[in-house]
Amino acid sequence: MTPLLETRGVWQRFGGLIANSDVSISVGRGEIVGLIGPNGAGKSTLFNLIAGVLPPTQGSIWFDGEDVTRLPAAERCQRGVGRTFQVVKSFETMSVIDNVIVGALVRNTVMRVARRKAYEVLEFCGLAARANVLASDLVPSEKRRLEVARALATEPKLLLLDEVLTGLTPVEAKTGVELVRKVRDTGVTVLMVEHVMEIVMPLVDRAIVLDLGKVLVEGKPTEVVRDPKVISAYLGDRHAVGA
Amino acid sequence: MDTDFAKRRRRDLIVAACLAVIAALVPLFVKDVYVQNIMVLTLMYAALSQSWNILSGYCGQISLGHALYFGLGAYTTTLLFTKFGVLPWFGMLGGGLISALIAMALGYPCFRLRGHYFVIATIVIAEIALLLIQNWDWAGAALGIDIPVRGDSWLKFQFTRSKLPYFYFALGLACVAWFVTWWLEDSKWGFWWRAVKDNPDAAESLGVVVFNSKMGAAAVSAFLTAVGGSFYAQFVSYIDPESVMGFQFSLLMALPAVVGGIGTLWGPMLGAVILIPLTELTRSFIGGSGRGVDLIVYGTLIVLISLARPQGLIGLFSPKRKEAVR
Repeated sequence: MTPLLETRGVWQRFGGLIANSDVSISVGRGEIVGLIGPNGAGKSTLFNLIAGVLPPTQGSIWFDGEDVTRLPAAERCQRGVGRTFQVVKSFETMSVIDNVIVGALVRNTVMRVARRKAYEVLEFCGLAARANVLASDLVPSEKRRLEVARALATEPKLLLLDEVLTGLTPVEAKTGVELVRKVRDTGVTVLMVEHVMEIVMPLVDRAIVLDLGKVLVEGKPTEVVRDPKVISAYLGDRHAVGA
Repeated sequence: MDTDFAKRRRRDLIVAACLAVIAALVPLFVKDVYVQNIMVLTLMYAALSQSWNILSGYCGQISLGHALYFGLGAYTTTLLFTKFGVLPWFGMLGGGLISALIAMALGYPCFRLRGHYFVIATIVIAEIALLLIQNWDWAGAALGIDIPVRGDSWLKFQFTRSKLPYFYFALGLACVAWFVTWWLEDSKWGFWWRAVKDNPDAAESLGVVVFNSKMGAAAVSAFLTAVGGSFYAQFVSYIDPESVMGFQFSLLMALPAVVGGIGTLWGPMLGAVILIPLTELTRSFIGGSGRGVDLIVYGTLIVLISLARPQGLIGLFSPKRKEAVR
């Protein structure tokens, strides 16, 4: 079976800076894949390329057996790519439910159906009680969950989570982890960029480590964290030698 | 919560119907022509501001060039009538459609601009159109066009003896503009527009084609504005470029919505009811002699309102703002 998502030899240059060089990764159906790496490794760039914010300088992106390299973000969403933003981008003047309805309208054009769908998603994400509050009145952890809810309302096949667990308290992060698991259990494939290793490693099936724009290591989380290349990328060569 | 929402929508509709009926009864008691004139203008600007609000309030694309569509409506109707004898009703429709098409043609390049750049583009385009019309001899150039009086008739939409027909038409127009907004508010377009206004990047990631959403809002907004312009031409029965396409119209369409509450269903209505009579009254009582005292008073009031209620006067009517749906 073809993987759900595949990047083939993707390059992204910004002027003289090479953010991604020859990145080829694939994500299978039903997987939770972690995309990790130190600051400036090119995670967010790769993420934006997959979501369709900008086209890659070179290479191609395949989703669900189809070349989507040149498709804009909205069309990728219609095909089943949902995403969240690292810096939350709620619709601040709209209520929580209205935020989610915007997402639900991709698949349901009848308002009543979209509204019901949005409410179900809010319940799934544990935000139902806040449905009629303005998005600007949510606390940061709720805003993160709203991002996830909104993306889920588009009924994605692939959910891209950009640092949804970063900067949360341990308790909040734990509920976040549970939510991601629940999402996967509904059959959605998850690709997540994450900084906090100790949270993300037990959660993901597979980890892809980026460093300096390239794929450094790929494998089971337990193997990846012990890999000397990964340790040196994060902590410097001295520590890798020690390990 | 579902029912709460439906209840609020139904309540809005009932309140609007009641207000419309009350407004329709007012001329039975107010016979003064001067006051009736103000009422016609108030209703017209309520409709215009409501139309402006669709593009600028809901979709967030601030336009200060709506005078263009207003003028297009006025000129299309008048030219069709004076040159070809086409009834104003068809002129209204034609003017609306032409405006909608032009709005989309202009939107094609302009919607790539964001924020201030977009606003500047709208002003400049409207000014260019004004200059073009001023130099277009066939369309009367700077002298304008007199609409020949052919006697009172609904068919030709001309009334010399009474202002009441104009009043009822303006009332109808305001109702239509309100109803269109009400209906769009709970449609996928309404949701897309608000999403585009709040955060275009997030909207795009949720499958909203931002560009098309803006085009849709521009077309609806321009159409309704042009119908208002057609009406105005019939109402004053004389048009010239400055009096239907001048920059002041762009402001007069934007101000009621801004003062009343931008991007809200009732804001433009409330704003028009407060501002337009104020404009007219200050002009009659303290204006004149070119001193501009009326404008100073008018401007001061707007500044005071903006300071006290930056989100619009409509905020006064929803004390539980935190819980307000919008």
